[in-house]
Amino acid sequence: MSAPFYKFGLFGDEASFIIAFVIGIGFGFFLERAGFGSGRKLAAQFYFRDLSVLKVMFTAIITAMTGVYLLSRLGMMDLSLVYLVPTFLVPQIVGGLLLGVGFVIGGYCPGTSCVSAVTGRIDGMVYLVGMIAGLLGFAEVYPYVQNYAHMTPMGQITLAKLFNLPYGLLVFAVVLMALGAFMAAEWAEKKVGGKEPDPKGSFIARPWRLTPVRILAMGLAAAGFVALVAGDPYRGSHATIDTKDLAIRAGSGADSIQVGQLADWIIQGRNDFKLVDLRSGTDFAAYHIPTAENVPLASLTPDFAAHNEKIILCSEDGTQAAKAWFLLEAQGFKSVYLLDGGLRSWQDMILFPKKSDKTDEAVFDRQMQVAKFFGGTPQAEGTSAPASVAVALPQVAPPAQPAVSEPAAAKVQPKKKKEGC
Amino acid sequence: MIALTALTELTVSRHNPLVDPHLHIWEWQIPVYLFFGGMVAGLMIIAGVRLIALRPQQREALVCCTIGPLIGLFFLSLGMFTLFLDLSHKLYVWRLYTTFQITSPMSWGSWILLLVYPALVANALAHLPEAIPALAKRFPILVTVSDFILARVQWVVGIGVANVMVGIALGIYTGILLGALGARPLWNSAVLGPLFLFSGLSTATALLHGILVITTPDEERPAFADFLLSALAQLTQARPLDKNVGPVLARADNSFLTIELALLGLFLLGHMTSTGIHQQAASLLLTGSYGAVFWVFVIGLGIVLPLVLQSLELQNRIRHTIAPVILVVFGGIALRFILVYAGQESHWFQALN
Amino acid sequence: MNSVEHSAKPYWNPYLSGFGLGLVLLASFVIMGRGLGASGAFTTAVATAVHQVAPTHAENNAFYAEYLGDGSRSPLKDWLVFEVLGVFVGGFLSGVLANRLKLTVEKGPRIGKPWRLIFAFIGGALMGIGAKIALGCTSGQALTGGSLLNVGSWAFMMCVFGGAYAVAYFFRKQWI
Repeated sequence: MSAPFYKFGLFGDEASFIIAFVIGIGFGFFLERAGFGSGRKLAAQFYFRDLSVLKVMFTAIITAMTGVYLLSRLGMMDLSLVYLVPTFLVPQIVGGLLLGVGFVIGGYCPGTSCVSAVTGRIDGMVYLVGMIAGLLGFAEVYPYVQNYAHMTPMGQITLAKLFNLPYGLLVFAVVLMALGAFMAAEWAEKKVGGKEPDPKGSFIARPWRLTPVRILAMGLAAAGFVALVAGDPYRGSHATIDTKDLAIRAGSGADSIQVGQLADWIIQGRNDFKLVDLRSGTDFAAYHIPTAENVPLASLTPDFAAHNEKIILCSEDGTQAAKAWFLLEAQGFKSVYLLDGGLRSWQDMILFPKKSDKTDEAVFDRQMQVAKFFGGTPQAEGTSAPASVAVALPQVAPPAQPAVSEPAAAKVQPKKKKEGC
Repeated sequence: MIALTALTELTVSRHNPLVDPHLHIWEWQIPVYLFFGGMVAGLMIIAGVRLIALRPQQREALVCCTIGPLIGLFFLSLGMFTLFLDLSHKLYVWRLYTTFQITSPMSWGSWILLLVYPALVANALAHLPEAIPALAKRFPILVTVSDFILARVQWVVGIGVANVMVGIALGIYTGILLGALGARPLWNSAVLGPLFLFSGLSTATALLHGILVITTPDEERPAFADFLLSALAQLTQARPLDKNVGPVLARADNSFLTIELALLGLFLLGHMTSTGIHQQAASLLLTGSYGAVFWVFVIGLGIVLPLVLQSLELQNRIRHTIAPVILVVFGGIALRFILVYAGQESHWFQALN
Repeated sequence: MNSVEHSAKPYWNPYLSGFGLGLVLLASFVIMGRGLGASGAFTTAVATAVHQVAPTHAENNAFYAEYLGDGSRSPLKDWLVFEVLGVFVGGFLSGVLANRLKLTVEKGPRIGKPWRLIFAFIGGALMGIGAKIALGCTSGQALTGGSLLNVGSWAFMMCVFGGAYAVAYFFRKQWI
């Protein structure tokens, strides 16, 4: 079993909403438990009276960070599939400052305001109304500032990539930094706020006994130390090839897709797969299967698609595709398929199907419809014309069909909803 | 192959939105009507049972016996109005009452509804002066009527029995209305009748419980309920309402919710062990396009969460709040909306897809 | 009915509740491959509401259009919307179990209720705007991105604390 489960298709959208609800319950529960339903407790962070915000937030961050690291490093999770909000440095700095100011004035952040509103805090409810007003106002202004909203794009980038440091080293550094910050926070609470730390739930308070909190800190520090020495959590660099498994899959034909099936998928407008044409650019321009994308074999790099994406490879007769299949399998791609027989087979069976005595009338009718959809012409019995095929190849864009036309399917892609917050 | 069946579907079954534009013909009016109908049925049964089972002195549960039927009258009228909105030929509504078709749930329904009004009114009148003294002061005739009814035991029992009987009929009818429609495999189950009856009972109990929580005197009132319906509290402030009924209602609501959950399970189990078409209809709720809203709104928020909250209230672990009430009421609405909408999406041709 | 103890229970230790929160976040990564969020759900709700009232206006606005999806299903059928629904439920459960439900206004002793509510409104509006500029709020950016070592998230997080500490002095009357 491989995580993230959703991205490997273990369950669908509907189930994901139910999971969202359950995860949300956990989120809200712990926020309230920590006291984040109270604006006064939250705001105390900024007057050094009660630094719970810092403690809770960074404990959560280092817990999840080391957890993700360890699971990925053990090969149970593909970190490259976890959604990373793209970085736009200037907007994020401006937005962050604005949020900080809003935090002190309003007393909540969006997540905590939900918890405060539902536990009866009127200011939390008013805050939510204010947030909705802010969103409404921002939406009206957005068209004018749209260009600034995506300034300084840096893509999906981690600190490890930015500073060119090992991921594990950064994990360790963040854990140490957080533990240091906790001690400083307890010291500040005592100095500025005059709050005597509770010996059971504190790092620095005497007596030096092993409390659950200290055990937790040691566990996190140990996990951080493992990260320091264990290497990179991203999967690509250490994918292992199970030759036996590969051989079985290649031998059984489970690695290939029939042209008829592909044609059906395209007609239905399915877009849950990536059709990759491995031929050269000129061949691709002359003719290609609708929805295909051109990636010549020589320029095939491991990051051209996500590891869990369904990829269908096609080339002239299938040899190129077979080479690419092994390359991608070795890179740890999970579901790569060959188009059986390549484009040649596509021409023979989809674009220009032939009728023989054995073909059933109804089946041929269906083939004719399919061929028409893709702009080909069915061949009558005996009049095979392989020589003329090259001339008669249809134009790249197939004629629009009323049933499931291709442009409609293509339009879905860019309007996909945002994944981030 | 899938494309092929899609083609067949277009030509054979005429489930083509461009050709048959009105497949989804029941909008919000029907589920709202079913919800109000179920709730009124529940209010009637509770009021009737209390009228029969308790002696006059014990009948301090005025919330159940008077406020319940009064609200019932209001909601019934609302429900009838939404049903009326749904009719295409509104002026011909009287024709429903020129005939009685024994095989038609519609005909049964329209006649049952005609019996509901007098039963509810009679029930409300019995204890009205005690429940709302201000009203009785202004209209002394109410006291006369109340005295007249209460002086005759047979009348009281008769009103009680009539309320219970008509209530059960109304509750079951709201489910059978859907169940009798063979064209929609999801509704094709006799369990829908009792399911809607118990769902109606649970929403009615929750509603009464909510009113009780809000109308308890100030010092005992949970602060959280303050901002909602305090006007209603004003109305009944003259006489503090009975405290012992709160836990009784919460306990009753828990049983109704449990039965409702079991019936939902039976309903889905019946479909899952039936033909492929029924299995697909049920999977619309379990995993299909209504999966998320069904599990989250109906099961999670509408049944399980209020069950947990009310159990904690009964154990005195937490205070009585109106949160479970709101959840149960919205769960009841959600159940009917989802069943009506998903039902219209399920059809006999689905098995081929 | 009133035999319940009315005193609120104390909050949990911050490290332990933070650990719980971290496990929830980790579960979200493992199961869904994405982190938590909050402001996105409200944006979706606002976009849906505007789309109901003025469909063309919402569709022509690039900001709303991003949250409306492809129209094949209700935009409210969204991961974050269901998650935030859960946040409300989880918060309520925790609050009711610890006897912390109370209709009150959170404020310091030196400010009146009306002013506190006005400030809450202004703060909420600023947060709404800021969260959209920064592509996320404290949950979506700081928590989620922070634990993935996202560059933008760390810059954002530093700025949130920076901005808050910079102006905290001027609003001290509200809180202490």
